[in-house]
Amino acid sequence: MLSEMKKFASLFCVRVLTHLFLLRPFLKLFFGVNVTGRKNLASLDQYIIIANHNSHLDILLLFYILPIKHILTTHPVAAEEYFSKWKVLFKLVNYLFSPIWIVRGQEIDDPLKGMKEVLSSEHNIIIFPEGTRGVPGQIVRFKTGVGRLAVEYRNLPIIPVFLSGPEKSFPKKSTIPMPIWNNVTIGPPQIFKGENQDITSSLEKMIRELSESETAKRHRRYKRLKPAFTFAVLGIDGSGKSTLSRMVSKKLSDNFRVCLVSDNLEFYENENQKELQPLLTEKVREGLGRYAKTAKSLKQYKIPKLAELLLRDHIMGEVQRWYTPDIIVQDGCPLINLAAWAKLYREEYFDTEVCSKAIRILTGKREAIRKDDPIFAKFHELTALRRFRLDHMRLPDAVIMLDVAPAVSIQRIKNRGKQRQVHETEEKLAKLREGYLLVTQVVEKEFNIPTRILDGESEIDKVTASAIEFVKASSLREPEYE
Amino acid sequence: MFSDISKVFVILIFLALSLFLLFKKIFKIHFHYESYLNYTWTFSLIFATSEAISFEIAMWILAVLCFMALREYFTLVDIRLQDRFGIMGAYLSIPFMIIFIQFDYYGMFIISIPVYAFLGIPFLVTLGGKEIKGTLLSIGIIDLGLFLLVYCIGHIGYLSLFSTWWAIMLILNVAICDLIAILMRKRKNHRWSNVLIQYFISAPITIILTLALSYWTRIPWLHDIFLGILIPALVAIGRHTIRYIEKDLGISRDQLLPGKGQVIDNLRSLLYAAPVIFHYLRYFSMRSDAF
Repeated sequence: MLSEMKKFASLFCVRVLTHLFLLRPFLKLFFGVNVTGRKNLASLDQYIIIANHNSHLDILLLFYILPIKHILTTHPVAAEEYFSKWKVLFKLVNYLFSPIWIVRGQEIDDPLKGMKEVLSSEHNIIIFPEGTRGVPGQIVRFKTGVGRLAVEYRNLPIIPVFLSGPEKSFPKKSTIPMPIWNNVTIGPPQIFKGENQDITSSLEKMIRELSESETAKRHRRYKRLKPAFTFAVLGIDGSGKSTLSRMVSKKLSDNFRVCLVSDNLEFYENENQKELQPLLTEKVREGLGRYAKTAKSLKQYKIPKLAELLLRDHIMGEVQRWYTPDIIVQDGCPLINLAAWAKLYREEYFDTEVCSKAIRILTGKREAIRKDDPIFAKFHELTALRRFRLDHMRLPDAVIMLDVAPAVSIQRIKNRGKQRQVHETEEKLAKLREGYLLVTQVVEKEFNIPTRILDGESEIDKVTASAIEFVKASSLREPEYE
Repeated sequence: MFSDISKVFVILIFLALSLFLLFKKIFKIHFHYESYLNYTWTFSLIFATSEAISFEIAMWILAVLCFMALREYFTLVDIRLQDRFGIMGAYLSIPFMIIFIQFDYYGMFIISIPVYAFLGIPFLVTLGGKEIKGTLLSIGIIDLGLFLLVYCIGHIGYLSLFSTWWAIMLILNVAICDLIAILMRKRKNHRWSNVLIQYFISAPITIILTLALSYWTRIPWLHDIFLGILIPALVAIGRHTIRYIEKDLGISRDQLLPGKGQVIDNLRSLLYAAPVIFHYLRYFSMRSDAF
């Protein structure tokens, strides 16, 4: 009875009154404090509080959430060598919080001795397992001291607390505090059975989870996405490139947002096809593509197909802008298709050098190519494209060439049962195949674009697996943000 | 005589609201929009203090309200560490604005924030550190917050310097518009049609209210009608605009907490109405003998 009365009387000491009538109102009125999960602390008599550490305000906030009866019996762990630089501050901190002083970097037999003494006398401690305030807003790896204490005091609950706001209102290296709200999220008390390392990593995980739930609510500046990783699947008609691109798109979509630019635009996320906001350019391109397929001769085919390819290239920009995918899979690359088709129209002039020059002109990298270069005389289309400023076509980041013998592809086209296009003959497809192989070689050697030639006559699952493996290997990275 | 009765009415409004809040606290009555009542009470406190005690003290209460709104805004926006000087500049603008209102220094009140603070804050932001990326966004964020939550709210203070009843008329009309919006929130109509319906329900009530208050405001009836038409429109525009900012800041109307959108949400209807009504009344009162 007497001891309880003493305890009650001790609550009216200057230190407690300073906390109640000076520090707490100051925190509430100047900064603003929101506390979540106060009930997790209410019913406990003894505990260890662990929290992330970004600011000197952290200690004030942790004392803010304590029940009044625990103000005198709670001791934070603080670095003596830091606070002892200023005598007045040291004395003030010592008086208000009666910390357990430790000297960082000093080799002693038992660095936890002070904490153990306090816990043995049924008092509470506050630990910042990160050890230092670190980079504002970032949680660094926890030190194992808290795990060792938890192993020794197995029945003592550990309360994870996440503090957000102090890293903005009074961060490290700043001298003037700014009035900005602070949020204190108190997690449920934890009792651990495992070993030191496991306990430490579990606590770190808990704090990180609390931080994610808290920071997820915050406003973030607009993050600009890096350009999507683009890869093209090439091949002659009937090589199975459309099927391969669709399968690769679906498989990649379990981790990424994938847009397939084929005869239609398709968007995949979590292996499901999503509905897309329609694009006018795409509708025009579809119409042109259908018209080109009805052409009776190569001459009739050329202009609508060229226009269709140019529009398909333009759509790449629109897809990036409106759908913001992580990966774009191209069923045929407009630029490479243009170059390869030169083999069909101007076979006599088509070689590695011409192909390289043509790609440079079409991608706008024509610094070393003079205006009177013979290539413009051989290929008038290049002059026209340059004049109309249509020479800024895109090269993909990786290329897969699906190689199939023309005879096999003709058989596949027949099996489709649709009307054959003007170029879908064995002879022309053979030329086209040569053209694609040559262009693939050029883009790899001259433009350092990773390429892979896959056997289109193998089983589709095997081809898909090799294609995905190649795409991942050819610097397909996690989507990064600026 | 008129002045005394007017004062008594202002104090009575404040006492009635205070009693209601006390009653609510004692009997632990909770309702969804109770924080809105707290802010209405804060304005009634400002007007009662202005009438019964001192205009200067009332303006410092308004300064606290601006500080709370700005503090909440800076908590919610994504600021860089080096923007701290700019934020400090924004906070320091509040006492200057309040002093200019107290001194009835209209010229400085009207330019202190849009000219000096808006030129000074970018400079302070650049002094904060060497990181260039994001400077434009930071300046925009700080300046917009200062403009909306300090400068626009400050107009209510200046309006109450002209006449406390003008400010009361504005606050009551805005409260009526908000009340109608709250009552109509559950309607599932298209949003724009909802806004229009709210306007056409609010406007007759605000016209009647402005006319009824003309005994104290001394605003001619033609202007009363026009103000009754104008205020709900400004409230609708303000609410619509601030709603976008709130959504961007992640303010959820279902979980309004202090520091997480409560102050901004309760003040949002006033942000457009306050400066426009202030300039309207100032312009006509200076040019017309009827006021």
